[in-house]
Amino acid sequence: MAAEAGRQWQAFAALFNPPADASPSGKFGQSPPFAPFFDAEQFAAAARAFHQSRADSQAAAAAFGEFLRDQFGRVLDGMLGGSAPGGSPAAAEEAPALGPAREQQERLQRAAAAWRSLDHAQRRLRRLWSDALAEAARAFVSRLGAPAAPPTAEALHELYDAWIDCAEEAYARMAHGEAFGAALADALKAAGDWREESAASVEPWAKWLDWPTRREINSLSLRVRALEQQLRETKRKRDIPARPAAKKRTAAAKTPRGRGKR
Amino acid sequence: MTSRLYAALSAARHCAPGCTEKDEVWRSGKVRLYRYRPISPTPSAVPLLIVYALVNRPYMMDLEPDRSLIRGLLSRGLDLYLIDWGYPDGADRFTTLEDYLEDQLAGCIDEILKVRGLDALNLLGVCQGGVFSLCFAALHPERVRNLITMVTPVDFHTSTDLLSKWARKIDVDAWVGHANVSGDVLNQLFLALMPFRLSQQKYVDLLRGEADQARIENFMRVERWIYDSPDQAGAAFREFVVWFYQQNRFVRGGLAIGGRSVDLRTLELPILNLIGTRDHLVPPASSAALRGLTRSSDFTTLELDLGHIGMYVSARAQRQVPPAIAEWLAAR
Repeated sequence: MAAEAGRQWQAFAALFNPPADASPSGKFGQSPPFAPFFDAEQFAAAARAFHQSRADSQAAAAAFGEFLRDQFGRVLDGMLGGSAPGGSPAAAEEAPALGPAREQQERLQRAAAAWRSLDHAQRRLRRLWSDALAEAARAFVSRLGAPAAPPTAEALHELYDAWIDCAEEAYARMAHGEAFGAALADALKAAGDWREESAASVEPWAKWLDWPTRREINSLSLRVRALEQQLRETKRKRDIPARPAAKKRTAAAKTPRGRGKR
Repeated sequence: MTSRLYAALSAARHCAPGCTEKDEVWRSGKVRLYRYRPISPTPSAVPLLIVYALVNRPYMMDLEPDRSLIRGLLSRGLDLYLIDWGYPDGADRFTTLEDYLEDQLAGCIDEILKVRGLDALNLLGVCQGGVFSLCFAALHPERVRNLITMVTPVDFHTSTDLLSKWARKIDVDAWVGHANVSGDVLNQLFLALMPFRLSQQKYVDLLRGEADQARIENFMRVERWIYDSPDQAGAAFREFVVWFYQQNRFVRGGLAIGGRSVDLRTLELPILNLIGTRDHLVPPASSAALRGLTRSSDFTTLELDLGHIGMYVSARAQRQVPPAIAEWLAAR
């Protein structure tokens, strides 16, 4: 994985900076820096294929656009944190909760429902993302001029920037829309619900082991906070006589740099 | 070229931001108040307190010697203090906006006023810190002499505000619960505002230029800053999202902190409003709305052709922002 990241980085650097010196291939495997998400070598190959396709440039442009759409399809997973940890709870959501474990079972059922909501919202987001990429690809293809062979480093720069422009424009239209905002809100709510129910499911185990629970710590935190507020209020009341408000502005106005009045 | 770039990146891995000498002069809980050591032999008598946002670290104001608004302001004779809010942890989950304003910010200001023997100081609020500064000035007008707001959101419902569009739909209580909000999650949301440029193109652009060590180090410092995102105290975060992003209370009214009304229409002090016309996080129209909401008869708007981050670290900002602030303050 690390070596792959380094290889991609190196390929991209070489793509935009035609090699004037030898690249230190070994170093990347040891300590990779950052690699762009998409495959630089494939980008170069696709760009070259487009540039060399003089006979059928329309088809080549469309293929190039589709390639970029596919390559950037994975970016959203990183943006939105991918899936929640822990895997989908296996509890049967419709099963009646009976007996001594009914509370625990209901919690698991609620967690499972939240998980399903999260998964559903993430699917909606991915679909919207895919639509935006498709729109970006169409816009990109329509902007492509006749390919010039052989492609120069500058031409590759321009292709890359044109793609980014198209992608941001399409994404912005989607991201400002009602559907994306609603799906994002649903995903965040479901993630919060799932976390709350999951945490509640673990609490009985903490109690059984005589470990402090989050609920207990919260209770203590609130008591400390109430004491702090009382202390602050006491100090405030004590300090009030020492702070005559009316005199303050006058003193500030007498400072050497205080030339103007408000 | 590739090997030189790699070597420069590798060498810049441990670049630390922050370059100007400062001293901790007060602390309360996780909050630290710093005073920068003056560069000018005759620093201004009325200090300027920089109130940064909670969502990132304040060292962006002092990234490196040639990209430091702090240094630029010090060299023009200003006496600077800065609040470092620290990194909230689980014990801070019930910290509210009232705590931040009336305890922590007020504590810093009272300490400065007491030590300096003053009744009021100048405030420079940055982004969310600008919101805090506006609230504080409305709550305690006698303690703020001049107010500078930089890339500060005021109208949270402008048409181009993507973050606000998302925030308005979110069930923040369900999302946050009683927990803090992960800084990493917030970062993902910020990146999602322009995912292709912010998570892709900027790295490719890095490859295009020369493997100049200074350029690479600057990039790495900004990169470190972007991902150095403190978690957000849950209660304060919920209040901020609901009161500002969802209910837009600066504009629509009804804002109260600690039971006291916060009405921008009570502000009469001189205000300098710095706006980045290419700001993707705080739309220019959001900041510009401040002019119409106060009663200040000494209101200056300065629009700069800069983005949100460029306002702190770009070469243009170094040339334009410190002199603009220093001259504006000197005239008051």
